[in-house]
Amino acid sequence: MSTCCASSRDPAQTRSGELTIALAGNPNCGKTTIFNALTGLRQKVANYPGVTVEKKTGRLKLPDGNWATVIDLPGTYSLISRSPDEMVTMEVLRGLRPRTPAPDVVIVVVDASNLQRNLYLVSQLIELGRPLLVALNMMDVAERRGIHVSPQSLGEALGVTVVAMVGHKRQGIEDLKQAIASARTAPMPDWPLPAPMRREVEILGGRLASMDAEGRSATGGAATGLYGAPAHPSYEALAERLLIGDRAGDIAPLAGQVPIAEQVRSATARLAEAGIEPMQADIEAHYRWIEKLAERASANVEELAAMGTTAPREVLGYETARGRTLSDSIDAVFMHKIWGLVVFSAIMATIFVSIFSLAAPIMDAVQAAVTWIGIKLSAGMSDGPLKSLINDGIFNGVGAVVVFVPQIALLFFFLAVLEDSGYLARAAFLMDRLLAKVGLHGKAFIPLLSSFACAIPGIMATRTIENRRDRLATILIAPFMSCSARLPVYLLLIGTLFAGAGAMAQAGIMLACYALGILAAVVTAIVFKRTFLKGAPSAFILEMPSYKVPQASQVLRHVLSNTWEFLAKAGTIIFCLSVVLWALMYYPRLPESRIEQVALEARANMPAVLRDGVMNQSNSAAASEDIDASRQAWIDEAVRGEELRHSFAGRFGRTLEPVIRPLGFDWKMGVGLVGAFAAREVFVSTMGIVYSVGGNDEDTSSLTEAMRADVYPRGDPRAGQDVWTPLVGISMLVWFVLAMQCMSTLAVVRRETAGWKWPLFMLVYMNGLAYVICLGVYQIGLLATR
Amino acid sequence: MGYTIGMEKACDVAECNHTGPAASCSLNQLGIGCCGCVVSVGGDMDVRRRLLEMGFCNGAAVEVVRRAPMGDPIEFRLRGYHLSLRNEQARHVKITGATTR
Repeated sequence: MSTCCASSRDPAQTRSGELTIALAGNPNCGKTTIFNALTGLRQKVANYPGVTVEKKTGRLKLPDGNWATVIDLPGTYSLISRSPDEMVTMEVLRGLRPRTPAPDVVIVVVDASNLQRNLYLVSQLIELGRPLLVALNMMDVAERRGIHVSPQSLGEALGVTVVAMVGHKRQGIEDLKQAIASARTAPMPDWPLPAPMRREVEILGGRLASMDAEGRSATGGAATGLYGAPAHPSYEALAERLLIGDRAGDIAPLAGQVPIAEQVRSATARLAEAGIEPMQADIEAHYRWIEKLAERASANVEELAAMGTTAPREVLGYETARGRTLSDSIDAVFMHKIWGLVVFSAIMATIFVSIFSLAAPIMDAVQAAVTWIGIKLSAGMSDGPLKSLINDGIFNGVGAVVVFVPQIALLFFFLAVLEDSGYLARAAFLMDRLLAKVGLHGKAFIPLLSSFACAIPGIMATRTIENRRDRLATILIAPFMSCSARLPVYLLLIGTLFAGAGAMAQAGIMLACYALGILAAVVTAIVFKRTFLKGAPSAFILEMPSYKVPQASQVLRHVLSNTWEFLAKAGTIIFCLSVVLWALMYYPRLPESRIEQVALEARANMPAVLRDGVMNQSNSAAASEDIDASRQAWIDEAVRGEELRHSFAGRFGRTLEPVIRPLGFDWKMGVGLVGAFAAREVFVSTMGIVYSVGGNDEDTSSLTEAMRADVYPRGDPRAGQDVWTPLVGISMLVWFVLAMQCMSTLAVVRRETAGWKWPLFMLVYMNGLAYVICLGVYQIGLLATR
Repeated sequence: MGYTIGMEKACDVAECNHTGPAASCSLNQLGIGCCGCVVSVGGDMDVRRRLLEMGFCNGAAVEVVRRAPMGDPIEFRLRGYHLSLRNEQARHVKITGATTR
């Protein structure tokens, strides 16, 4: 075979003379464990620009004392398929990713217990023509299953160094480090292609070689010759890539040239006549080669015993005569038609309860602590914009970010355990039928379930879904799940407006809110998957890895890196929006004269209990101080209410009134809705300020009374009518179920979809839907009750 | 298409729901515990490529391990590992020589 010639070294490759090592391998092959063992704590997690694929790099000290950069590539089955993970892997390996140097050495991790399929990726990596090293991992699992792979035979057959490893026990790590220096390009195997295809590869390879030579002589040998050709080990390898339809970024310019495209087309047509499809023939040839290789590399027990590396099968009790593995036995229960669902429900209930209630006290404590620090810090300051900015703006903003940390950390803990143990694939398997009905993937179940606690961790959990369309559909419907922040609003509205309806009816309304959210999610998922997220129904091709015990260190790393990423990326946006929202509710300030006037009015309108309080109490000094404080609080509430009405947010609420009036809402609710943008439960405290009754989401009795007593003032078309009728309550409940009014969710969607397009779309479609449905509910309700 | 219960069986495997000619049928027609060898893989380009790459080629032996509680997806064993496919993908894989293992 002819040798490489058109290659030009990637300039990034020689940067500071340091080695770049890429770690590749199938999913579930133990690659991350080896990466962690190689790099220890010297790791960095970022994102590849433009895609939401994690870029994990680490530093490794080589035995010769030099440092090397290790890139942990996403786990992939192939270099040609089209998921974002596979694209990135292929591009890094071919040196096509900007700001990521092409690797000098590729270490491919191979699961010895699943040799054939793992060797398929190896066969593709050989074609890359880069120095290669095979880490034959999970030797212990393979031994237990009675699969004996000889690293020596495999290494001889491949022509590269093969290091036997048990990653989670750190066995073979030092050998692997030592072997890096000896990594070399594997000889190109003679793929057992069908004869006609082999002929076409040779013909096309020959054409490419002569075109290259012509191109060179035409430019005096200075230019690269074959325009647009990537670095390639041989012209035949290049021809093969062209024939099998590989259109990766490096080969696309070449494939697009008219004479070459013409050659490829006629070769494909000739092969089709012979009943050969190049892509299929290529994969089959690779597997035929692999089958031979695996046979050669599988040493017999006696041979291994002679080398002293065998583990007697009899000792490992759970290897039964029929070859039933421990995983098979676990699955007999975990995947059982009845018991499987019982186990599944128990696991999901544990996760849900943990996120929903276990996290709650921690979240409250975290928020209280942050607020307390703010108050302590500003204790010495006089009232004014700076103090308010610190307390209500900055520390509230920090609180709004860190409040999510317990939930996110818990969810990622469970996700890491489920994924590392191998159960995540089983959960997707059990739930797929249900979700497939609305066009989603089985893996959407956990993100959607988590969204009932909070959409933020839920949306972050969609990362486990590979297919972009499926993932996007899941993200777009996740906020319809009634999250825990809606609960205080539901409780306030139901408690205030349906108090007479009885406990059962109240519970029914609450249930209906949750059901409406699910219904909206189902309908929108179906609509989206049939319109702009349309495509061939996404294939469900999911490996069921054997069960493993998750490693504590790996789980911890996963939790820390994801939590940190949330704080760094989504957190900054949430924080900024919190400060903006504070400014909207703080400015412009009331003139001093108006404050005095409001205070005077409040003093005059003070309820008799407060005004004459002293008369009914004992005359002790403490009691009189108490009363004074209550009077002052009454006046302060009135001023705060007036300040909010005067602020940008208050004015916005008023401006909004004509728009939201058809839904049955007045301007006060408009202000509440603006406040709810910080977090839905803030609606309750904002309404408390608007009604000048104070209160928080725990104690709403005075707010309830104020809402029930509120009637439209003179001059309003609805003068004298109740502001909060049960119909308004239903309309408001529907709004809270359907509307997108959570800036933190939008910030996370921006983060997860790498742009503002989808969060903006979400904002428009969810609020549009909520508006239309509320309009229908309220107007039809009005007609029906007239 | 696919998984129907109560039709006349063509093979002698108790759980097999395969109703076509015994020589060749689709992977989704096999009953639990049945095993067959891959003849061909159909379907659109991307799915076909992925199935081939996962090892559904060269007459590989595939065994049906189980079905999900609602009948779909189906878990298979091939080349020493487990993989699940929806009915929709499994019906594109034609197999031959269905037997119990």
